[in-house]
Amino acid sequence: MQAFDALCANEPELAKLRMSVREFLDVDMVEHGWRPSVDSWMSSWDEEFSVRLASAGFLGLTIPRQYGGQGLGHLHRYVVTEELLAAGAPVAAHWIADRQLAPALLAYGSEEQRGQMLPAIAAGRLYSAIGMSEHGAGSDLAGIQTKATLTSGGWILNGTKVWTSGAHLAHTIVVLARSSPADPTNRHTGLSQFLVPRASPGLTISPVPAMSGEHHFNEVDFADVFVPDAAVLGEIGDGWRQATAELSFERSGPERILSTARLITAAISATRSEPPSDERTVGQVGELLARLISLRQLSIMVARALADGRPAANQAALVKDLGTRFEQNSVDAIDELLDGTTLDADMPSMVDTARLHQPMFTLRGGTNEVLRGLVARGMGVR
Amino acid sequence: MSALNALAGGVFATSAPEDDDTDLRRLVEELGAWAFDARPRPRSLPEQFDDALWDQLEQTGLSRLTSTPDLEAGPSELAIVLRGLARHAAAVPIAETELAAWLAGRAGQSLPDGPLTVAIADADIDGGRITGTATEVPWARIAHAVVLAARTDKAVHVGVLRGLNVDEHYNVAGEPSGRLTFDILAGDLTQLDPAVGHELVRRGAWTRCVQIVGNLDAAAALAVAHTRHRIQFGRPLNAFQSVQQALAAMAGEIERARAATTLAVAAASDFGFAAHQTDYAVSVAKVVAGQAVPAVCTIAHQLHGAIGVTLEHPLPLFTMRSQSAITDYGSTGWHARRLGRMAFASDKVWDVVVGNDVTGWE
Repeated sequence: MQAFDALCANEPELAKLRMSVREFLDVDMVEHGWRPSVDSWMSSWDEEFSVRLASAGFLGLTIPRQYGGQGLGHLHRYVVTEELLAAGAPVAAHWIADRQLAPALLAYGSEEQRGQMLPAIAAGRLYSAIGMSEHGAGSDLAGIQTKATLTSGGWILNGTKVWTSGAHLAHTIVVLARSSPADPTNRHTGLSQFLVPRASPGLTISPVPAMSGEHHFNEVDFADVFVPDAAVLGEIGDGWRQATAELSFERSGPERILSTARLITAAISATRSEPPSDERTVGQVGELLARLISLRQLSIMVARALADGRPAANQAALVKDLGTRFEQNSVDAIDELLDGTTLDADMPSMVDTARLHQPMFTLRGGTNEVLRGLVARGMGVR
Repeated sequence: MSALNALAGGVFATSAPEDDDTDLRRLVEELGAWAFDARPRPRSLPEQFDDALWDQLEQTGLSRLTSTPDLEAGPSELAIVLRGLARHAAAVPIAETELAAWLAGRAGQSLPDGPLTVAIADADIDGGRITGTATEVPWARIAHAVVLAARTDKAVHVGVLRGLNVDEHYNVAGEPSGRLTFDILAGDLTQLDPAVGHELVRRGAWTRCVQIVGNLDAAAALAVAHTRHRIQFGRPLNAFQSVQQALAAMAGEIERARAATTLAVAAASDFGFAAHQTDYAVSVAKVVAGQAVPAVCTIAHQLHGAIGVTLEHPLPLFTMRSQSAITDYGSTGWHARRLGRMAFASDKVWDVVVGNDVTGWE
């Protein structure tokens, strides 16, 4: 294997997979008429697309074959994921289930939970949301107040989650709740994770419309919601470790760099016929691409390290910090590139969507300031 | 694939990688640390050539690593040497000697022993004479020979020059740099394809990217140490969140530069310096270095306060070397425009990003 190809996630097997997912996307887009969009993993919800993607073998890549998945490695998933994002494909429906629920089930789930849920995730038919943040606990997640109280045969949940993306369409919500009173000397103990069906009695979902008017955020209220013991994820009291252990994959993944990739490539292509005459703009495009390429390189280095079981938590946090700031800056850079050009129908709407999503890039999944604090600790200064 | 580890290190590294190059890495680290400790104090300007270190580099074979066939060293090993010595601000023309030896080899010209340097200039050819001026010739006065690459419209003319009168000043890093005016019989130079000139610039940019990673790793280590030990308001500086955020921002830019430069090392190892892949990866890395260096240097100096801008403090050895290096062998803007033009010429911009479409250079 050559080092260059490995660093580009282009060794023969991955290159073949990359080409096959591209072929699928080219054909599927024409046949089913979806429009590429920016930040599609957040807001382009298309359940039929998810099912077609799964049928073609591009979902549940890291889920073992015995559970209906493809039984492939993290880098295979990486390549498919970045091609989906680069194409602006409508991937939001299955995104959280494939990215977070499936690995959590594989790491901590019971055999029964795995057997029930993994085949449906791999088939693109089971969607999930993550219930972590609350009104009083955003960046300071350990301050959550949602309570899990032991009862006969299970647990009773009471409390309110917020910013729960896709909860109104999800089948299962992964809820982090306090199962024993907070210990002020170690606030990370006494938390547990529960797999709660959306249709549970006592569970109420209310939309929190985003400033774009889109509905992806929700407030999820739990009023004496019963969860059987069989729906506890992993160990009672181990919720914090479980919820944070695998975050490096999420933090360093392609969606922390590529939320605006479709806008960038489309804008450069759109200005090809009349390329900017001034050298300054050409240089700015070069600077933008160099930034993108370097972030992708860093992201792939982290993915390789994690796949090999080597530590890369600090670099993973850096990918999210740098990558999401790049996403934000890219919107301004593209706006400038497009200044004065005649745009086709899709472009203005992509720019508007990007502008409306721009502030979220550095907030979701943990603010960049918190991440930089983690990195500083990794530098031995905290 | 030793290229993947060639630039391993930095503030997050817990241990040096164990691979075929472990002994080389250790040797370079020892020599670099020894030379740093032996630096003349107080420091004076310009930097003095470290002939004691150079002797050691010659004895260990590191001074002409890739041009000595017996050593079987490639770009990965060269990167280890360049980064390792840059991390200790070694005052020797190690990159220049490699470049000069390669260029003379391409021209089939023999070289004297000792440190070398390379001069690049746009030249005029008229009446059988080639004339021009090379500016910014590093270490020109102490070099035992200057290998000249005189570029004309249709060719690059290469020759080994000795005993020249050099007008020398020093760059922002305090490293000596010469200005060399030449008027030579064309027949005394070897005429080569212009591609050799392009490859020389590419190799030069590559060496600077690798050295910059070493410079920035050292600057970050100094900033971490300083903010740990310096007490203000009754607390170490690193107890302040604003300082922690700044340190993390600095580390981010350095890791990004390391990632981009690692791709350039891999490209050179896999395909050689003449390849499109290397052309692509070097221009990307040089732009990224040009973005990272000002950001890292600004933070490193801000965290050090006034002590960091003095001649006695080691920080400027690293920050100013990196600031000087980003201007060499094609500026940030020059490489960015190349990359931009390539993207506009491609009908597959995403493939430019993933390293699949790297052939569209002018």
